[in-house]
This record gives sequence, C-alpha cells and structure tokens, in this order.
Amino acid sequence: MLVLSALVSGLAQGAMYGLVALGYHVTFAVSRTVNFAQGSAMMLGAVLGYVLGVREGWPMPLAVAAALALCAAFGLLVERVLVRPFVRRGSEAWLMATVAGGLVLDNAAMFAFGKEPRALPSRLAERPVEILGLGLYPLQLVIPVVGIAVAAALHLLSRRTAHGRALLAVVQNPTAARLMGIDVGRAVALSYAGSTLLAGIAGLLIAPLSSVTAEMGTLFGIKAFAVAIVGGIGSAPGVVAAGLAYGVVEALATALVGSSWTQIVVFAAVIGSLALRPNGLFGAAGPRKV
Amino acid sequence: MDRRPVLHRRALLVALALGAAAVPAAAQDPVKVGLVAALSGQSAKSGEAITRGLQVAIDEINAGGGVLGRRIELVRRDDESNPAKGLVAARELVQREKVAVVFGGIDTPVSMAIVPFANGAKAPFMGVWAAGTPITRNGAAENYVFRVSAVDELVDEALVAQAARKGARKPGLMLINNPWGESNEAGLKKALAAAGLPAAGIEKFGNDDIDMVPQLARLREGGADALFLVANVQPAAQVVRSLDRMGWPVPVVSHWGPAGGRFTELGGPRAETVDMVQTYSFSGRLSPKGEAVLAALKARYPEIRTLSDVTPAVGIANAYDAMHLAALAIARAGSTEGPAVRAAFYEIGPYQGLIKTYARPFSPGNHDALSREDYIFTRFSGPEIVPLTD
Amino acid sequence: MALRSDLAQAAIGLAAIAAATAGACAADGYTLFVAAIVLLTAVVGYGLNVLLGLAGLVSLGQVAFYAIGAYAAAIPVLAGWSFWLAWPFAGLVAAGAGILLAVPALRARGPYLAMVTIAFALIVEHGLVEWKALTGGANGLMGILPPTLGAVPLSEREMTWLSAALAALALVGFTALKHARLGRAMVALRDAEDAAQSIGIRVVPVRAVAFALSAGAAGLAGALFAPLLMFVSPGTFPLSQSILFLLAVVVGGAGTVLGPLLGAALVGVLPELLSGLAEYRLLFFGSLLLVVLRVAPNGLVGAVAALRPRRAGPALRPAPLDLAGFLGTGARPTLAVEGLGIAFGGVTAARDVGFTAAPGRVTSLIGPNGAGKTTILNIVCGFYRPDRGRVRLGALDLAGRPAAAVARAGIARTYQTTQLFASMSARDNVRLALPPGTAGPARVADALLAGVGYAGRPDAPAADLPHVDRRLVEIARALATRPHVLVLDEPAAGLMRAEKDALAQVVRTIAAAGIAVVLVEHDMALVMGVSDHVVVLDAGQVLAAGAPAAVARDPRVVAAYLGTGDGGAGRARAARPADAAPVLAAQGVTAGYGAAPVLEGVDVAVGAGECVALLGANGAGKSTLMRALSGLLRPIGGRVLLAGADVAREPAHRVAARGLALVPEGRQVFPALTARDNIRLGAWRRRGLGVDVEAELARAVARFPRLARRLDSPAGLLSGGEQQMMALARGLMADPRVLLLDEPSLGLAPGTASELFAILADLRDEGVTILVVDQMADLALGIADRGILLETGRVVRAGDAQALRGDGALVAAYLGHPSPPLQPHEAEPRVLRPHPA
Repeated sequence: MLVLSALVSGLAQGAMYGLVALGYHVTFAVSRTVNFAQGSAMMLGAVLGYVLGVREGWPMPLAVAAALALCAAFGLLVERVLVRPFVRRGSEAWLMATVAGGLVLDNAAMFAFGKEPRALPSRLAERPVEILGLGLYPLQLVIPVVGIAVAAALHLLSRRTAHGRALLAVVQNPTAARLMGIDVGRAVALSYAGSTLLAGIAGLLIAPLSSVTAEMGTLFGIKAFAVAIVGGIGSAPGVVAAGLAYGVVEALATALVGSSWTQIVVFAAVIGSLALRPNGLFGAAGPRKV
Repeated sequence: MDRRPVLHRRALLVALALGAAAVPAAAQDPVKVGLVAALSGQSAKSGEAITRGLQVAIDEINAGGGVLGRRIELVRRDDESNPAKGLVAARELVQREKVAVVFGGIDTPVSMAIVPFANGAKAPFMGVWAAGTPITRNGAAENYVFRVSAVDELVDEALVAQAARKGARKPGLMLINNPWGESNEAGLKKALAAAGLPAAGIEKFGNDDIDMVPQLARLREGGADALFLVANVQPAAQVVRSLDRMGWPVPVVSHWGPAGGRFTELGGPRAETVDMVQTYSFSGRLSPKGEAVLAALKARYPEIRTLSDVTPAVGIANAYDAMHLAALAIARAGSTEGPAVRAAFYEIGPYQGLIKTYARPFSPGNHDALSREDYIFTRFSGPEIVPLTD
Repeated sequence: MALRSDLAQAAIGLAAIAAATAGACAADGYTLFVAAIVLLTAVVGYGLNVLLGLAGLVSLGQVAFYAIGAYAAAIPVLAGWSFWLAWPFAGLVAAGAGILLAVPALRARGPYLAMVTIAFALIVEHGLVEWKALTGGANGLMGILPPTLGAVPLSEREMTWLSAALAALALVGFTALKHARLGRAMVALRDAEDAAQSIGIRVVPVRAVAFALSAGAAGLAGALFAPLLMFVSPGTFPLSQSILFLLAVVVGGAGTVLGPLLGAALVGVLPELLSGLAEYRLLFFGSLLLVVLRVAPNGLVGAVAALRPRRAGPALRPAPLDLAGFLGTGARPTLAVEGLGIAFGGVTAARDVGFTAAPGRVTSLIGPNGAGKTTILNIVCGFYRPDRGRVRLGALDLAGRPAAAVARAGIARTYQTTQLFASMSARDNVRLALPPGTAGPARVADALLAGVGYAGRPDAPAADLPHVDRRLVEIARALATRPHVLVLDEPAAGLMRAEKDALAQVVRTIAAAGIAVVLVEHDMALVMGVSDHVVVLDAGQVLAAGAPAAVARDPRVVAAYLGTGDGGAGRARAARPADAAPVLAAQGVTAGYGAAPVLEGVDVAVGAGECVALLGANGAGKSTLMRALSGLLRPIGGRVLLAGADVAREPAHRVAARGLALVPEGRQVFPALTARDNIRLGAWRRRGLGVDVEAELARAVARFPRLARRLDSPAGLLSGGEQQMMALARGLMADPRVLLLDEPSLGLAPGTASELFAILADLRDEGVTILVVDQMADLALGIADRGILLETGRVVRAGDAQALRGDGALVAAYLGHPSPPLQPHEAEPRVLRPHPA
C-alpha cells in the first residue's frame, strides 16, 4: 500500500515536473537558451488563478484562461527583456538575467498576492474517494492524465498543424526554416510563451493539491530543470518520461527510505544518471564534428 | 546608502551654523530598536506579524510620550532565514544604528547565530518567536538574551501532557525536516521519556511535500494512537489532508505552526480537530487590552478586516508584550546602554500585558517571560482560533 | 588579455584590498565584518573564475565547497585542533570534493554540467542536515572560536586582515595561473577543445585540476568564514548563495583579474546598502542586478576595458628560425594508413583506405566534396575510432587512440575551419603548443610565426585575425609541437591567389625540414605544385594514387571533378529567351564573415526565365554569394535587387517571403519531419493565400517519382539523392520568382546527379528562373543559358554557357593552372622565409 500510494502521488507530481520541464525543453530546442524563471512562471499561473478566480470572484474557467494568457505574456516578456538582448550581444548572461528575473517576480508576487499560503479550491480535491484501498483525491488521478494529455496535445499540435510544423522546422534546422520564410525570431518568442504557458498549467493543476504561495515555484523549478536535463533537454518524450520517473523515484524514496533522505537520494540519482549519460537519458550526442 | 546619516550630518551643520547648541539634539533623537527577522520568503508572514505587534506597541508608547522623553523608532532588517545574514543585520543594527534592543528571530539558527554576538557586544537581544531552548539558556556568564515566546522544551512537555490527557499511550511524531523540527524531536523525546511513554515512530517531511501518506502509514503501522505535529501551516495542512485521505481518525496535538495561517482553508474540515498550543488568541472574549490592541491593529493596517487576518496571533502578541517590557526596561535603566538595560530587565514588573500580567518577567535565573502555565491549547473553528474549554 | 594589463589589474586589486581593509579597520565593527565577508566572497570568486573564466565551466554549486570548507575547519577546531592545522586541511578536503565532483562532471557540458553542480550543492546541503553526529544537523555547530596566535585569539580586525591576505593570495594565484601553462591549457580547452587535444593537452587532468583549484579556494575561504561567524549551519549555505558567487564573477568579468573582486564587492555591499528596504530588499536587489547585467553583459572589467583604447604592440619582426633545427633531426617515422574503414549510422564514409606519408614529402589527399578526406584525417588524428584498419606511425599503431595521445606521438594538424584559441594572442596560441621547457618560448613562438609567413602583430587576439593569418597561426601552432607528421586540412580555403602561392612555399619548406606533410586541399594548383604524391579519394575509397602529373591526367579523376556531362542531363535549351528584365541582381556586393571580405564587388544578374550557372573553385565565394543573395548573410556593401526591390538589408525570412527560394548546400532538410511535411513547409510563405497546398504538393512530387514512395518517411532517413529531390520539391512549393540551388549534385552518385539536372532542365523549359552553383561544372553548364565564373571573390568571366564549356580558364580554375608557377622542390633553404619576394 505504501508503494502503491507512492506511485500514485509520484505520478501526479512527476507529470507536473514533466510539464514544467517541457517548458525548458521547448525554449532550449528552439533557441538553445533556457528560462530559469520557469518555476516563477508556474507560481504565476497558480497565483493569478487564485487572485482572479477567488479574490476577484471571476468564473473559474475565465480566471484560468486569463491566468494562462498572462503566463504566456510573461514568457514573451522574459524573452524580450531578459534573453534576446544578451543573445544578440553574444553574452551568456541571459542565464543570470532569467534567474534575477525570477527573483524579482517572486518578490513582487509576495507583495501583490500576500505572504500567506492560500488554498485554490477545486471540487476534485475536496473529498477523497477510495480506489484499491487508497484514499485519493480525484485530482491526483486527473493530474497525470491531464499532464500526459497536454504533452500529447503539444506533440500532435506540432506535428499536425502548419504552425506546429513550422516550429519543429525551426528546432531542427533554423537556417533552412528561415529559407522557408519562417520568422525564427518570432518562433523563439513563441517558444518562450509556450514554455511559461506549460508552467502556468502545472501551477494551476497542482495548486489545489498543495497551496498557493509566492515561492512555490523555487524548488519546483529546480527539480523540473533536473528532470529536463536528465531526460535530455532536446527530447520532448524524454523529458516527459524523466518527469514521471523523477516523481515516482522521489515518492518511493520518501516511502521507503524516509523523507529526510529523499533529496539526497534523488539528486544523487541525477548525478549518477548524468555521469552515465552526459547528454541525458534520451539525448543524443550526435557524431563529433571536427 | 541610507540617507539618514547624511541627514544627521546636515542637521549637525545647520545646528552649528545657527549656533543653536542649546537645543538638546540628542534628546530629540529617537530611541531606536531593531528587528532582525525573515521578511521575505516562506516566513515573511511571521515577520510581518512581529512587525505589526512591535509597531502597535511603539505607537502606544510614543503616544504616551515615548521613553526617556524620546520617541521610539523601529529599524527592520530582512535575514532571509539565513543565519549569516541575520548576524550581519544584527551587527549593523547594534554597531551602526546603535539600537537599544534587537528584537528578532523567527528561525532558531538565526537567533543562535546572533546570541554570541549579542552577549559579546553587550546588546540586549529579545526573542519574540524562535522557541529553541538554548537561545536563552546559552550558558553565557552575562546573558543579554531575553525572550517573550514559547520555549521548545516546555512546549514539548505541554504537548505530551495534552496527548496523555487525551488517552494517548504510544504517540507518533510528525516533524518538519528543518531546525525547528529537529529541536522539537529532541524535546519531545525527552518529554516522552519523562512521561514514560514510548514513541510509535518519528517521521519527517519537507515544507513542499504534498503527500504525507507514506509517513503517516508507517506511524499507523507502528501503532500510533496520537500524533505530535510540528510544522508550519502549509505542510501541516498537507498532513491533515493526508490523514483525511487515509481515513485515519487519530487525535493530533500540534505545536503552534498551523496557527500561523489559514489552516482550515488549506487543510479542510479535518484541520478543526487539531489541538494547537498557543501563547495568545484574539478570539473569544478579549480582555480590554486585547480589544484595544485589536482595534489599534485594524486602525493601523486597513488590510486587517476579520480575525483571520490577525495572524500569526502569537507573533503579534509576543512582539507587542516584548516591546512594552523592553520600553519599561529602558525607562528603568534611564539609558539605552546595553548593560544598564540588561540589569533593568530584572527589575521591571509587574506589568499588565496582552498575554498575561507579568509579575516579574525576568530574573538572572530565568530569561523567559512565558512559562508552561502561559500556554493554552486551541483549535480552529472555521477561520478563527478558539481556546479549548475543557 | 595581455600580461601587462593583468599585472596592472593585479596591482590595482591588491591596492584596493589593502585600502578597503585598512579603511574597514578604522570604521565600526559592522563595516569590518562586511569587509571580511566581501573578501572571502572574492576568494570564492577567484576559485570560480578558474572554472568559469579559464576552463569555461559553469558551476552553480560553488557554495557546497564553501560549506565543506567551513565544516571541515569547524569540526576539527571544535575537536581541539589548532585552526592553523584545520585551515589547510579544510582546503584539501574541499579540493578533494572538487575532484570527486569532477568525475561525473567532466563529461557533461553546458546546462548538463550546471545541473550536476546544482545537484551536488543540494546533496551537500541536505547531507549536512542528515549527518547529525558530525555536523550537528540542521541547527549546526556553535562556539567556533577564532584562531589564536600564541595564546592570544585573533581580533576581528586581525581576522579581516587574514581574509584580506587570503584574497590577495587568491588574486595573485589566479593571475599567475592565468599566465602559466596550466591556465592557458584550460583556456585552450575552453576555446577549442579539439585543437587543444591535438597539441597534446589532456582534457581529464586539466579540467580536474580546474575543479580542484576552484573547490580548494572556496574551501579555504569557508574555513575562515566559520570562525568569523563563530558558527556553521546548513541554512548559512543555501543554493542561492551559489548563484550570488557566480553572479559576482559574471558581473565583475569572467576570466579577468579584477573581476571577482569587483563582483564580490557588488554582491556583498549592494545588499547592505539596500538593507533599509527591509522586505523590499530582494526585489530591488534583483532589479538592480538586471540593470547591471544589461549595462555590462560581459562584466564590469570588460565594459571599462572596452572604453580604453587598446595599445597595439609592434608588428612582428621577421626572426629567421632554423626550422629543421627546431624540429630536430634524426630518423623520422613514416605514417602508414592501412585498410581504414568507418561507417556512421550505417552509412559507409570510408572503405579500405590506405596510403603512406613519408618523411620529407608532401602527400596530398584530394577528391570531390564528401569523398571522405576529412573523415580519414579525423581517424588519423584520433577523433574517430575506425571500424577497421590501422594508423601506423613507425612501430606504433595509433588507430583508436585519443587525440591528445596521437598528438603526443607526433601527429599535428590544422583544421578546415580554423580552430584557434580565440581569446589568446597569436603568440600564445603557438607558445602553448611548444614542448614544456622550451627556452625563450615567446621568441621561439614569434620566430615560428614569422617562419610560416605571419606578418601581423604577435600580440593580436586570435579572434580578431584576418582569415589568412588564422591559417598561418594554426600552422605555426601545429609546428610548435615538433611533430613527425603535419596534417593540413584545406589550408588554402578562402585564401587569395598570392596567399596560396606563399602558402605553397611554406608547405614545401616544412617538408624540406624533414617531416611528413599530409595535405587535404581542393585548390589543384596548390596540390599539383607542392605534392610529391597524390591520393584521390571518391565516395570513401581510393580512386587513384600516384605522382601529381599522372593523377591529373587520369580520366577518372577528371570525371570525378568536372562531371561527365553525359546522358540527358546536359540538355541545352533550343532557344535562349530574349533578354528580360533581371529578377535577381547583385550590384557591387561585398560580403564576408570576418575582417577580410570573401566577395568583393560582385555583379550578377538573372533575367526572368533565365537559367544561370555560377562556377568557381572551392573557396571562390559561390556559397557566400548564395547566402548574401538569400539574406542569410548581410552584405557589407552593395545592393541585392529582387524584382526591383533592394533586399540586401532584409532578413532571410523576408527575402524568402518576397519570392526567393534557396535550395541550400547540403540539402538542409528537417530530419525528424516526414518528407511530406518538409515539402509542405516550402509553401509557408504562401499560407493564407488560398493556395491548395496538397494539390501543389502532388504536382511537385509528380516530378520526382523516386520521392513519391518515401513521402511519409522522416526526411533524415532518406538517401542523399532523395533528400536533394525533396529539397528541390520544397523549394518549388514556394512558387518562387527565382530558384537558387547551391551544390545540388553534392554527394550524389553520378546517375542521380544526371537525373536531378534533367529535372532542372524541365523546370527551365517551363520558365522557372534558376541560378545554380555546382562543382560539376559540366552538368551545370549543360542546362544553363549563361555561366559566371568566380575566383577569389570576384567575377572573372561571364558569358554564354556553351562557350564557357570549352574554355580552358574553367578547367584551370578547377584543376589548377596548366603550368604551375612553382618549381619542384629541390635545394630549399632550411630556413623559413616570411614571404616569397
């Protein structure tokens, strides 16, 4: 029962890691840059959902839509202000800039939203139901489904729509994409919007299970980055699979070894996996170009 | 850079220029008191509560003419829950701002980092939150550390007594994996041993964990018939939600953490069954002092609308009483010099405070103004915290 | 950066440390304490600067070493050790931890490495909490007393001076390291890992030392931090502190001498200045950091240095070098390659390749693009492990040995795209390759540079050198290793004729000094002029081998280069269309990548419905012109008119949207998309115009029967010919005003190439305007109305395609001048001369 319970909550948590990590993947694949404010974007989704849906009393679907739209706008802003100016000048300071941007957003959110954890109500996380002898909130089962569905939808959108294919084209060969008339700069901006949107979805999904706070994204963002890296940041299915695996390993470590050792076990596993596969579990090194 | 020193210099220049040396400039300078606390990050709400408690008390004192004929001014620093930053901030407050008393410490390690400095610099340090036992019992020959707050060891004894009262024979421990949890692990073990009760198990969890079922399941298998809970509101809420999912109706006796936030909003109905130790509650019938403080809070902080906004109440109440006690000590000392103020702390009382009437709050053998008798057990009822009546 | 500038920075830094410490000692205890912390932060910064600034490795886990140092000092001190013993112990423990981390971290790069270091920091932070017996758990260890001198404990002032001394030591140590061989080796590995290995630098030990030094510095600082604070606890070392350390180095200027000190002052003092903001401090701190990063993205020191005019050192004074003496005399081994074979992902790149390169002789490997020449070089030099075969150097078999080992065995090389250590000067590039212990290394390096004909300043940064100088520095660097074999990979690419002639002299002189030279080169004039022996590769196999003159006459070789022009491909059009207004015109286009332009004032015009072939040897500038026309490369000067509008300043996607479709060299497919999706993307510019994409796709595919079957395969799995057809179909989907094709026959079997050109002829007859570049000049001229010949960036001939076909100038451009200007190698003086008169 311990293991089963750990599996269920691990999958739920892991699906969310996967979504946020997918955000790292999207920008990396398109532009070789990463938004280290992803965790903050996740927080932003949850905080905006709470502020609009609970404090302002908007109907929840509207609040969620608005929150996600604003998350995407945040992604555009990050790309425009914290990434593009540095990439243009050949500086890698975008790394530091996005970290600082996350710090600013977290602290700004603390003042705008409040310093206390708040609950984002959801009918799916009120009453537990009993399944296989486990008491679970329906949301715990819904989350991995939604998470995998979002990842699958993203996959399908990118394969089956013209704009999706254009984005894939940029990922695979930016030069050739430009020759097709695809605006690569816009694709990069869109990838940032997409990545923060994914983080926002994760924040909104996980908030009813945990709570909404201004710093909920900090550790989550780091773990999701670990997931993206371990999965091989260039591989979308790898990242999602690594997310689920990470969640499960974390939950199993808690269940079997005890919570105090969880982070040690999990991060040791991260180092171990990178020592064995320096380009991630699903990343490919490609032949060496000399 | 702070503009204050510049202003001072300018004021001095103006004073010299006018030859108005007769104005006792020093007497017009406010008496500064400092606060070192986590004002950002996860504990920001607690830092805010302490600020409010201190400020309301300072407003009252200043309205009554201040202390030593001077206004009191609060200077605050954010320690980010980092002991090194807390130490730097305390040094700045003492050595540069020349505060008369440093208030502080939400996190025990931050307070422990400041303690040796405070004793060495002969600067009175008044704890208003962190409950680590060795903060005040630090073994210094000249101890400058005082406290108006709970003391972990005493709280743990109270928790064990409360659990025993509810018929517990083999309680389990659910502790947050941080210094506070670690401090209470030691205290609870000691208290359990003293009461002759075995522990069903000791389980830890992280601040961001959202599923405590594995830990709780192990405690249930270990035969736990009651749980001690040491955690802040967010993980504490996850503990009761996990209990709810497991359908395990075990009684829970908790340290004061859950009272620091909206426990019932976050934890659901099960949260109302948790007994929490408190030093003060603004709910129910208040003393005239309580009414006055509540009114002052509402007047000064318009965002406080209902009782559930007055949180964490212990932070406000501890800080409020501590500020008044410190002002009394300064007044009694007749100066803001550390050694004089320290000596005066032993002489003050009785003082009718918010939490209780302090007959003689401090003595050379006791630097804690609150003791076991001052702890009350409470429960949430909806958004409010109400004292247990039994 | 130059030694002089670094010494000046070091002097400023030491003075600043002394002044700040003295000033802090005169101020209150708080200022003193902050100063001590800033100084210790600077020490960590210098350590991190070794990793980031020299080795180019990002560590986001530096706080872990700081913590390890603090605990490794605190625990023994509490157990009764003297601090003076515990201090170095802590440094060693931290350095050991650094080496430990280096093991998994060495293979990881970029974000992967960042994650390894983050994970390490988190493990240490949690480990300190859980290892209670040793570390005191979450509440840490208290009561760490300051070190004593005699029986007197150090005061806070003395502790601050101790921190200042450590910071000064770190500063001096960093400066020394940066200019020592080890530090340069780190930089070399960062700038060009492959090139560094091929001068014998070993990756693992150098990077491990970088980790150890950086961890050791952090550990020594942490060890002093513990008694300064008088306690240690895990909460004192949060991950965010790592970010601040990294920030200090980045903001100050990575790799600079003054940077970490400046950065430490900024990240240490700024929060103190903002402390009055209480809860708003982090918000403002974060915002201010963004401002600083925006103002100085490459660090404050860099920003200041950019303001100061650079003082140029004197140009090189030719100092003749006895090359043979330098290289050493005595018996030299012969390089013998036997039966080499290698395949990538099932595609055979080389099969049963064998040749020998004897000492004192120039052995050339030639062949069309994609013949496998560079692959062979990479095997010889240890970058690829062959599936079979041997690489013998004398008695040694080097096949499969790592690059650094091959280099140490005596094989040096240059690269097709030069791989200089960009941040070092020309002199330092060469100097680093000299065997350790070489007397007067700077003088020898200068002499080698002069010897290969480098006439620029030896202290010029390699990144700023013009193309030809980059090639020369690379050759000098390879020679500096005193090799038995020198491997040159297309050294003449991009050089002007006169430069090529000078290069030929250099190559001959090197061979004359007694070592074996292996040359891969497209410029036939050069090859024919300098070679003793020529090996012709085609499709991964040896096609012919022998003396230059014999090989040049071999019909198979001529066919491989010029294309046979047989079959239906060379179908000329019955009647040339009347001269029409040009659809595409380059007017005086000058373009290039670095200081030297590749194209100079090129004029080209393509009329509506016309088919034009653009010809020229490798490096003549054909692809550069294609890139300039299509917007991939912004020309330095001139105009590019597309249907009358100047598009020279427009980005590629706009040019494409205006109706120019380029089928680029190497096909440039989207490998994971299906062929169908690749082709669909060709119509991207026409979306929203009501175009029936599927119908157009069917029409386009109808031209390529071979493609129809493979439409739903990922493009990456298609054969080269299929990919080329797909790329062409993709280009047609744009319904372009003008279709540009860059080397469409590259890497195709002759039959497939003919098939492709037949399709191009069809398109031409249907009125598609075409500009085609192809190595197979016969094929291209076979379908073209007009031909344009480029040489070294200029149009040297233009005219009717049929007339050009029989033109000797064309053959000369491809296979070299019939009468090579160079004498065969005979009594070459054993002294290198800068330039031939």
